[in-house]
Amino acid sequence: MADFEPKIVAFCCNWCSYAGADGAGVARMQMPTNFRVIRTMCSARVDPEHVLRAFSKGADGVLILGCHPADCHYIGGNYRARRRIALLRMILDQYGFDPKRMKLEWVSASEGEKFQKTVTEFVDTIKALGPSPVRSKEA
Amino acid sequence: MGFIEKVKGIFKRSDKAEAAPAPAKEAPAKEAVAKAAEFPADSPIDGYVPGLGAPPGGKINLAIYWAAACGGCDVSLLDTDEKILNVSDMSNIVMWPIAVDGKEKDIEAMEDGEITVAIINGAIRNSENEHMAKLLRKKSQILVSYGACACLGGSPALANLVPGGHKEIKDHVYSKVPSSANFLADSGKKIEDVMPRPVYEAPEGTLTLPVLYDTVKTLDQTVDVDYYIPGCPPTQKSIAQLLNALVGFVYKGEALPPKGTVIGVLAKSLCEECHRHKENRRITNVYEPHEVMNVDHDLCLLDQGILCLGAGTIAGCGAPCTKADQPCRGCYGPTQPVSEQGASIFTAIASLFPVQANDATMDEDDMDEIMSVINDPLGYFYAFSMSKSLIKRAVKEGGQ
Repeated sequence: MADFEPKIVAFCCNWCSYAGADGAGVARMQMPTNFRVIRTMCSARVDPEHVLRAFSKGADGVLILGCHPADCHYIGGNYRARRRIALLRMILDQYGFDPKRMKLEWVSASEGEKFQKTVTEFVDTIKALGPSPVRSKEA
Repeated sequence: MGFIEKVKGIFKRSDKAEAAPAPAKEAPAKEAVAKAAEFPADSPIDGYVPGLGAPPGGKINLAIYWAAACGGCDVSLLDTDEKILNVSDMSNIVMWPIAVDGKEKDIEAMEDGEITVAIINGAIRNSENEHMAKLLRKKSQILVSYGACACLGGSPALANLVPGGHKEIKDHVYSKVPSSANFLADSGKKIEDVMPRPVYEAPEGTLTLPVLYDTVKTLDQTVDVDYYIPGCPPTQKSIAQLLNALVGFVYKGEALPPKGTVIGVLAKSLCEECHRHKENRRITNVYEPHEVMNVDHDLCLLDQGILCLGAGTIAGCGAPCTKADQPCRGCYGPTQPVSEQGASIFTAIASLFPVQANDATMDEDDMDEIMSVINDPLGYFYAFSMSKSLIKRAVKEGGQ
């Protein structure tokens, strides 16, 4: 398991987390390269179907990053997102996934450091969990 | 064989007129993407045509089969009332296990394509279902996937969520349910004595039983399908639309709808058909219909806290459930741009939960707490569509 390099999909909202990721890059912060960023206009744009599709195609973990509560560019997008994600977490659990494979976190445009920390910690979590059960089933 | 040639002749003509289905023999099981409905559900449906008589080229062969299903679909075919008489005018029913005596060997003896239409209801759950689906596909020109189980997996597909697959299910049924457990205890028999075996060597010869699969599949994940009729069970209207299309094709050589057509659906969600008005109320708790003493007959069920799946379900059924104060359970399947019906519905339903004054200081555990009023979201939102979902079955962390 030591050489397991997870594949992680990170959905970043355009107004906060994507800018935060940019900030992390501009500041040349070091972080693992296991994640692929998908920019969405809002964390509420992340349809649970997107997350399920990522898992069905073999993603080992999915990060959803948005603006902090009360800081949403669209006033209430993140409030809706977090309720959907809570339901989705229950559903992933029922399928048999470890719910830690999906993480919702708030990263503002100025929080490059938090982006780095979130990604690093998430990669560690997924490395500890091992490959996605969808992947190991196919292998 | 003259009659078969004639039927095939009709087929060739209509092939040229319009892209009628030319089912590829032994085509690889490919999930067809459901196309836009060609039949508007509100088009006039002709009733029984008296004295229709046999078609000019002789009667066609019709086969109806049930796979993993409850039998409701077979009964629903009889809901067509007197129109069923036109079916017997038009066709010889060569197989219909619930009603006529055609056997597997009779179908095997037929030539490929000798059956004009085969209607299969039920999901594919065991080796017999799969064998019959493949056999009927080979012998039929048109294959209709009939009912929610055949189209989406239906209730049988919820078995996919048992992590241990068919072994765990059989073990539970034959040793753990009270009647089996009591029987084992009282009779002193062992579980091996009661567990069905796929092969049994009897003195008279070898007996075999179909093998249960771990993953329940839809019909179109197993064989190539020409038309879909969703519903649990399909409405009389959609059956009538299929019959009308067949009558037009068999008697007048009219073109059939293009392959992949979903019969009896509209290009909108069930809410458009529902008579209830919506006030966009926020909800903090959910109720079963029997828990609400006085269901407001004109107000949206979601506004009343009853989990209705209409928002993510395709229209066409005429909303009979919500008319009877029951929530939509989603048997017609997803709306057309969506593949994941359950996700689409709970996305909408999660948004009904209000933003709270202290939302900004809550963490995600508090959110889990708020949403935990919904019991068994996977079983509820995917009640009919598990086989068509993206993940399809239970997974095991750390499994091989």
